[in-house]
Amino acid sequence: MLRFLTLRLVRAVLTIALVVTFAFVVLRLSGDPALLIMSVDAPPEAVAAFRKAWGLDEPLWQQYLSYFGAIASGDLGRSMRDGRDAIVLVGERIPATLALTVPALLIKLGLGIPAGVYAALHRNSWADRLVMFLAVAGFTVPSFVLGLLLVLVFAVQLGWLPSGGQDSWRHAVLPVITMGVGGAAVLARFTRSAMLEVLGQSYIRTASAKGVPWAQVVRGHALPNAAIPTVTIIGFMVGSLIAGAVVVESVFSWPGVGRLLVVAVANRDLAVVQCILLLVAATMVTANLVVDLLYGALDPRLRRGGSR
Amino acid sequence: MRLTRRAALASAVLATPALAQADQRPMLTVAVQKLSNSNTLETPREQSNVGFRLSPSYAEPLIGSDWQGDLSAVPGLATEWRRVDDRTVEFTLRDGVRFHDGRTMTAEDVVFSFTERLQGGPGHAVPPEIPAVAGRTFPGFERMEIVRPGVVRYVNRVPDVTLEGRLAQNIGVVLSQDAWGRSANWMEWARRPIGTGPYRVAEYRPDHSLVLEAHDDYWGGRPPARRIRFLEVAEVSSRVNGLFAGEFDFACDMPPDQVPVVERNARFEVLGAPINNIRLLAFDQTHPQLANPLVRRALSHAVDRQVIVETLWAGRTRIPKGLQLEYFNETFVTGWDVPAYDPAEARRLLRQANYRGEPIPYRLLNNYYTNQVANAQIMVEMWRAVGVNVVVEMKENFSQTVERGATRALHDWSSTSLFADPVSGLVRSLGPRGDMALAGEWQNAEFHALCGVLETSTDRAARRAAHRRMLEIAEREDPACMVLHQAANFTAKRRDIQWRAAKAWTMDFRASNLRFPA
Repeated sequence: MLRFLTLRLVRAVLTIALVVTFAFVVLRLSGDPALLIMSVDAPPEAVAAFRKAWGLDEPLWQQYLSYFGAIASGDLGRSMRDGRDAIVLVGERIPATLALTVPALLIKLGLGIPAGVYAALHRNSWADRLVMFLAVAGFTVPSFVLGLLLVLVFAVQLGWLPSGGQDSWRHAVLPVITMGVGGAAVLARFTRSAMLEVLGQSYIRTASAKGVPWAQVVRGHALPNAAIPTVTIIGFMVGSLIAGAVVVESVFSWPGVGRLLVVAVANRDLAVVQCILLLVAATMVTANLVVDLLYGALDPRLRRGGSR
Repeated sequence: MRLTRRAALASAVLATPALAQADQRPMLTVAVQKLSNSNTLETPREQSNVGFRLSPSYAEPLIGSDWQGDLSAVPGLATEWRRVDDRTVEFTLRDGVRFHDGRTMTAEDVVFSFTERLQGGPGHAVPPEIPAVAGRTFPGFERMEIVRPGVVRYVNRVPDVTLEGRLAQNIGVVLSQDAWGRSANWMEWARRPIGTGPYRVAEYRPDHSLVLEAHDDYWGGRPPARRIRFLEVAEVSSRVNGLFAGEFDFACDMPPDQVPVVERNARFEVLGAPINNIRLLAFDQTHPQLANPLVRRALSHAVDRQVIVETLWAGRTRIPKGLQLEYFNETFVTGWDVPAYDPAEARRLLRQANYRGEPIPYRLLNNYYTNQVANAQIMVEMWRAVGVNVVVEMKENFSQTVERGATRALHDWSSTSLFADPVSGLVRSLGPRGDMALAGEWQNAEFHALCGVLETSTDRAARRAAHRRMLEIAEREDPACMVLHQAANFTAKRRDIQWRAAKAWTMDFRASNLRFPA
């Protein structure tokens, strides 16, 4: 177990280092932060002063080494646009994003898994077809289209809910539904496929032939075995809790990490972008680690090092 | 009548809701695409279109601008001003002007606003770009001196006929010296500047919202709105939806194609007009295909600007008379115009230049400017019609479009004339210390020499002659850029609110320009 965890940890650190390096190179080679932050009409003297103040006039490799060294010592840098520590800026936005992504995750789980299971257990019925129709629709409609449609109906036409902003819990309803519906559709499709595969296995037939009640077969044999691919998808969803609402936050003017990321990338505010990427990578790696551990809990063969 | 302590307390408690009820002024919500590029409200740091929109609400310069009129100079924090000599302007300060912190503005505040605030001092270190920006706006600044209480003098190192124009810019707003001293650091100061404007900054949440509250001691009259909340709504469709849903009273930054969408709803209207910004296409004279001025002239003759204005802008903007605006008044060159649409002349120039269809790159941003991509596509086809092979390269940000390299030839650009003189646009953009010269895109020795005449000469006839010659060089002989059209700024709003759009980026919410339905 210790070897397993150590290996995962090393891989996680390497992944994060690669992510940071990639972001640094791409962002620094694709735009000058001084010009972007100081605006197009800024006098050249001001741009030069800005570059000097932030060390942007140093060779790229030197900037990279300085940045990496700082990260190693726990300093994620300061925002060139805001002047404050990047971690403080990002930290301020995390609650807003979680206020959307956590309820949306609950909707995804609460709707997607039962719908997928139900569709699989009633394969080829009208209910199955309806669930799959809705799942395909939810999966294929981009979130910004769905978001705007919801706004048109519930904010503009009916006037029941606000169209955007972050002033009360009512402002969160439409963005949460927008994110929840898409994710639920994905989960429903995966859950149905996994269940259908498991339901076709010989051990399900054997259990039924032995007279085990169908509900017990489903609960005791089908669901745990179908859980592995579903848990993988849920792992991705948990991993994207921090920055998984970029589009929805833009559509609904929700000041979360996603909006901050968009603005920071547009301004090449390197420290902020990399801070967010670090957090995203760390969340994703942690979620994957938990998923790996869950695999072992769900399937004893994986715990013993066997293959599936 | 004997006033007991209990009675006094009771009357105080009763008075509180009564006071709150007394203020029946409405609150406004304004949706904007962007609040501030720099996450600050300090004018030298936020020299942007979005900054120009907000700053007049909370801070004012000595010389104001006639926002609803021709942008000419009007009394601001100074009631009058006079030229002492070619280098000096004397200002009489308005009596009894109150800052948002309740203090009365003094001559010391004016001096502070031009010195310590812009240059830094023992109180606070200012970011290095602040003195640089200030240095460009007031390049000859020597000192601001107090003549006597209520009278100050701006002294320049060299003669400059544009001083009044420079002093009307928002970098020259007067802020409270006392508040500067109380701020913990520069960023805190820059996010809550204490000015004299009709509204004071109550809350600023970067990238989200700015709340302004009425400054009831405002010298220009009690502000008609109790509170104005600017909300950052990045998506235009979200701004329109919020307006229709009744959540916003104003929705800014409307592209022309949204104007009919909004106006189909009888409750709303779109206001706006051409502003003091000219959209340009910049030429890089160092690119092999553009080294010959004849090719640049051909590019300009090949574009039918009027068609673009009518189709993309529904006729809601105009083509300026070359690289100048009418509000330059005495320096405005009458009879001057942009090169005429003349495809035959364009073909003739291309033949004369021996141009044989070599590709000319056009670095294009995805609608940084309104209608930018559609405008570019139309122009590319117009150029193709006369035999010019322009190849579009999409770029992500402005720094990529001006980056030196073999593919830098054409890119979009704009020039804002912040005060009524060609120095504010032409010299700033094309002069020897201007953007194009420093980027290594365009230089012309005669033009650069004439910039000196415009900047320092006090002979008005000589300045006008220099301006005419500069237009000839920059638009005809050795084109630096081609004028496309005047930029226009559109704001959607509730029809029942009386408000007029400025001929600039500014939004004016003073009592003189805002009235609510009874």
